[in-house]
Order: sequence, then structure tokens, then C-alpha cells
Amino acid sequence: MRSLLGVAALLIVGLALSLIVSEYTLRLLNLAVVAAVAVVGLNFAFGYAGLISLGHAAFVGLGAYVLAILTTKLGWSPWLAAVPAVIGTGLAAAVLGYPLLRLKGHYLALATLGLNVSFGIVATNWIDLTGGTNGIANIPGLTIAGHELSGERPFLWFGLAVLAALALIAAVIHRSRYGRAMMAVRDDETAAAMTGINVTRMRVAAFTLSALYAAVAGCLFATHIHFISPDDFSYAHSITHLAMLIVGGEATIAGAILGAVLLTFLPEWLRVLGDAYLAFFGLMTLAILIFLPTGIVGLATRWVRRPAPPQADAAIGAEEASRP
Amino acid sequence: MADFIQLLMNGLALGSVYALAAIGFVIVYSATGVVNFAAGQFVMLGTFAGVATLVNGGWSLPAGYLGALAAMALFGALFYAVVYLPLRNSPAVTMIIGTVAIGITLQNAALLGFGSWPFRLVSPFEGMTVDIAGAVVPVHAIAVVVTTAVLIGLLWLLFNRTTLGIAMRAVAQDLVAARLMGLKVGALLAFTWILAAVLAGVAGLMLGPMWFADVNMGDPIALKAFAATIIGGFGSLPGAIAGGLFVGLTEVLGAAYVSSAYKDLIAFGAMILFLLLRPQGVFGERIQDRG
Repeated sequence: MRSLLGVAALLIVGLALSLIVSEYTLRLLNLAVVAAVAVVGLNFAFGYAGLISLGHAAFVGLGAYVLAILTTKLGWSPWLAAVPAVIGTGLAAAVLGYPLLRLKGHYLALATLGLNVSFGIVATNWIDLTGGTNGIANIPGLTIAGHELSGERPFLWFGLAVLAALALIAAVIHRSRYGRAMMAVRDDETAAAMTGINVTRMRVAAFTLSALYAAVAGCLFATHIHFISPDDFSYAHSITHLAMLIVGGEATIAGAILGAVLLTFLPEWLRVLGDAYLAFFGLMTLAILIFLPTGIVGLATRWVRRPAPPQADAAIGAEEASRP
Repeated sequence: MADFIQLLMNGLALGSVYALAAIGFVIVYSATGVVNFAAGQFVMLGTFAGVATLVNGGWSLPAGYLGALAAMALFGALFYAVVYLPLRNSPAVTMIIGTVAIGITLQNAALLGFGSWPFRLVSPFEGMTVDIAGAVVPVHAIAVVVTTAVLIGLLWLLFNRTTLGIAMRAVAQDLVAARLMGLKVGALLAFTWILAAVLAGVAGLMLGPMWFADVNMGDPIALKAFAATIIGGFGSLPGAIAGGLFVGLTEVLGAAYVSSAYKDLIAFGAMILFLLLRPQGVFGERIQDRG
């Protein structure tokens, strides 16, 4: 019920904003929605299963490239191309996940980082297929019932609907036995294995789910911008995704969406500072990490339940808030 | 053969720089458990500290190098106080994002201070070459390798023959026990960061004449240092050296003999293979997850 309310709030706020803000803000909102889809996905891997992935952008990129290649080279409709894009990316994550996910902590972080860098090198140099650094242009947009989703406003409506649906699915999975199993693996691997949970399979499942969401984000990105290049999926974007999740409040779907919106808009708000805006962006992110260790959602939970007893700290707060 | 010797020397010189960057990274990791994603920006700052003193300040070479390294030491202390101390009890991933965030700040602060136009940092051995078996080798490359070897020797002496170094190793091994033994843990950790920053500074000063001094040079160096650390072994100083040399050599030799486009894929492919087959690297710690 609370997830339905949360999704309704998301749709209402999004629709209201879409009617009043400028074209430029609409474009940023679209980028925020695409990022939010990816970050809600990353929440499976990092938030629930505790896997530090610094390769999320590679899966966004894989989805985007498959769609772009099928539409521009073979003339497929983007709807049709999105199917192999998403499924193929999920398969790739499952295949890579089995060997990779034996690693933990920062070993996994650096391995996935290496994966992302390798993806970038291949995308840059396999020029016949990917166009190299020139990227792939003229990717067709999505059409619904004969109407192309051209312009920022219709695309935002569509993006919001996709995000809402994916957030609902994520909430359902979170509350299912699979979601609980993922969190059990995160909190104590041995104890989870003792209760009969297949730890490896749960890790791979979380990783694959996160890649499926990433691929959807990649398809949205490609059909929104109509142009992709290796820079759009560099490891810096993977780090941004993780930063969004942590700033928003890890292990929560609401936090993933809030973090994606905040970190998409924060650099724009700081543009009044002129050339120094990115330097301040780094400092502000650091300040959020230091002063809001449980993220925006953690702050909101603490604020709502102010007279809570002292033991209702970070972990419990995040748990409570993870039911949006 | 002449070509090969020339490439070998350039690869060793580049590898030495990567090794120094990786050593700074490893020292910090062993002592504090922090995976410092700003490590590449440390090297970039080292190069630009040299640009500030030598190019913009017009100082003489010894004064310029000393001034740049003193600035790096100050920066290491500042990093300890502003980034490490407030985040020291946070989860590993928060620390990762924190060091990335400050890395973005450093890179853009350098962009503001020095502009996007690359600088040329001259070497004390500018234009000098020697002839080795028919190969023309820049003296700078030899000087880089020798300087790195001397620094590694000094580090070995520090960690094995001085009270300070042994105390630092004690802190790295068990922080609580070290504190109970009466060691000034805070000061030792601060010194660790300072040492890492100074080593990065030396790497930056040596790299400046080999590449152009560019504010975006930090990220590629960081990635190579990570690869070097994984291949050599996380938390191991000999591993950082071996890994750094391996990455430098594969980059230069791979570009010449295999493919210049895919030269970096060799190092990262090796890194991923090591992670899958031998995550502790060549010399590294046995534990997969140090938490």
C-alpha cells in the first residue's frame, strides 16, 4: 500500500512539474528519470545484496548499444530492439556474475571498475560496430500508437510511467522472499547459507536484476538523446550512480529516485558559481556523506520519528524507510 | 633490438611512475583500509605543484622540486584532516565515493587554477640521450628508474630499520593494539597520508616531462595504479612495484607490438584475470575481503 502511495506521489509530482517547468528543466528531469531507473536497479545489487558495483554504466551502455545498433544498422523498431537489448544485457550480467561475484568488498569494486573500463575500450575501438568515439547518431525515437515521443514533455510522461512500474516491481521483489534472501546474504553470508539460501545464486540474481534495469535505462537514454558514444557510459557514470544511491539513502527505492534527481540537478543549481561549480559539487557531495551518513531518506526518517529511542539509528532507519 | 631496448626503457620509466603511484595507494590502504580513488589526482597535483613552482614561479630546479614536494606534504596532511578523519568510521563504499568526490574537486580546482591548456614541465635532463647497444634512450627515463629504485630502498629502510616505520606497520597491522602500546595512532596515520602524497608528488614531477601536464591526467593514472595493485597484490609493496612495472611495460610494448588501440585492454584484462584466478595477486594478502 505504501509503495502504491509512493508511486502515486512520484507520478503526481512528476506530472505537475512537467506542466510548469521550462524546456531545459524538462530535459534535466528526463535525464534524472533515466538515471533513477538505473539507480533503482543498482539498489538490487548494492542496497539489497551489498555488492559494490562500479560497472553499472557498462550495463546501461550495453543496453543502449544493442538498441542503437539494431535500430540504425538493421532498421528494427526501437520497441522490438529493446527486447534483445534488455534480455541480452541480463544474460551478460548473469554470465559475468558467476565468476566475478565470488569477489567481495573493494575487490569486486575494482573488478567491476575494470569491466567498465574494458567496455569503454571495446566500444571506442570496435569502430565497425560502434562507430568508435564518433558514437552512433540518428537513433529513432519511440512511437506510441503512431505518435512519436518527440519533445521533452511526452518523453517525460513515458519515462515516469516506466520508472513508476519498475519501482513498483522493485518494491514487490524487495518484500518477497527473494528480496529478503538478498538482504540476508548482505548482512551475514554464513547465516544466510545456514538457512538454506543459495548465496551465489542470490548474488547473481541481484546482479542480473540490476543489469536488467540498467539496460532499460540505456534504452531510454538512447531513444531520448538519439545519440550515444562511449563517454556516456564511462566508469565515472558508474560512480555517479553509486553516489546517487548513497546520497539518497542506500537500500531504499525512494532514496534511489531522490538521489538520482538531486545529483542530476545539483551541478545545475551550482552553475551560478561559474567555472567553480564542479569543484563545489565534489565538496557538497563530501559534505552530504559526512553530515548525512544515511542519506536524504535517513534524514527524513529521523526527522519524522524525532523522539525515537537512540537505538533506532542508521540501519533500522534505513530498513523502515525502505518500504516506500 | 635497438627499438626493443628503447621501448623497454620507456616502459620501465612509465612503470616506475605507476609503481610509485601504486605504492602511495598501498601504504594508505594497509594503514587505514581506505581505497583511495583520489590517488590519481594526487599524482596530477604533484605535476601541477611542479608547474606552479618551476614554470609559473620560475624557481630554480632544486628549490622548485622541494617546494612542490613540501606543498604535497601539506596537502597530504590536509586530506587526512578534511577527508579521512570525518569519514574514518563510514562503510567502505562511502569512503570510495568520498574520495571520488574530493577527486572531482581537486581536478576542477586545478582546472580553475591552471586552465585546460596543457603545460610542458621540463626535465633536468631535457634533450639528453644516451646510446645503449644502438638504442637512443632519454636520460630522463633512466633517471626516473634510478630515482624510483632509490625511493623504494629508502622506503624499505623506513619500514624495517626505523622506529617510525615499524610503528607505522604496527598501526597497519592492528590499530587498537598499537594504541594500547602507547603509539600516537593519529599522528602516525597523518604521516601515512603525508608520505603517500609526497610519493605521488615525486611520481607527478617525474611524469610531467614524459606526458604533458594536463588536469585530466589523474584518472588514467589512478586506473593503472589500481591495475598494478591488483596484479601485484593488494596491500603488498613488492606487489605494487612489480604490478606497476608490468602495467607500464605492457602499455608501451603492447602499443608497439600488439595494438595501440587495445594496449590498455592488456593491463585491465590481466587485472580481471588475476581477480578471478588469483585475487591475492602475485605477492598479496591471503584474505579476499579485508572489510
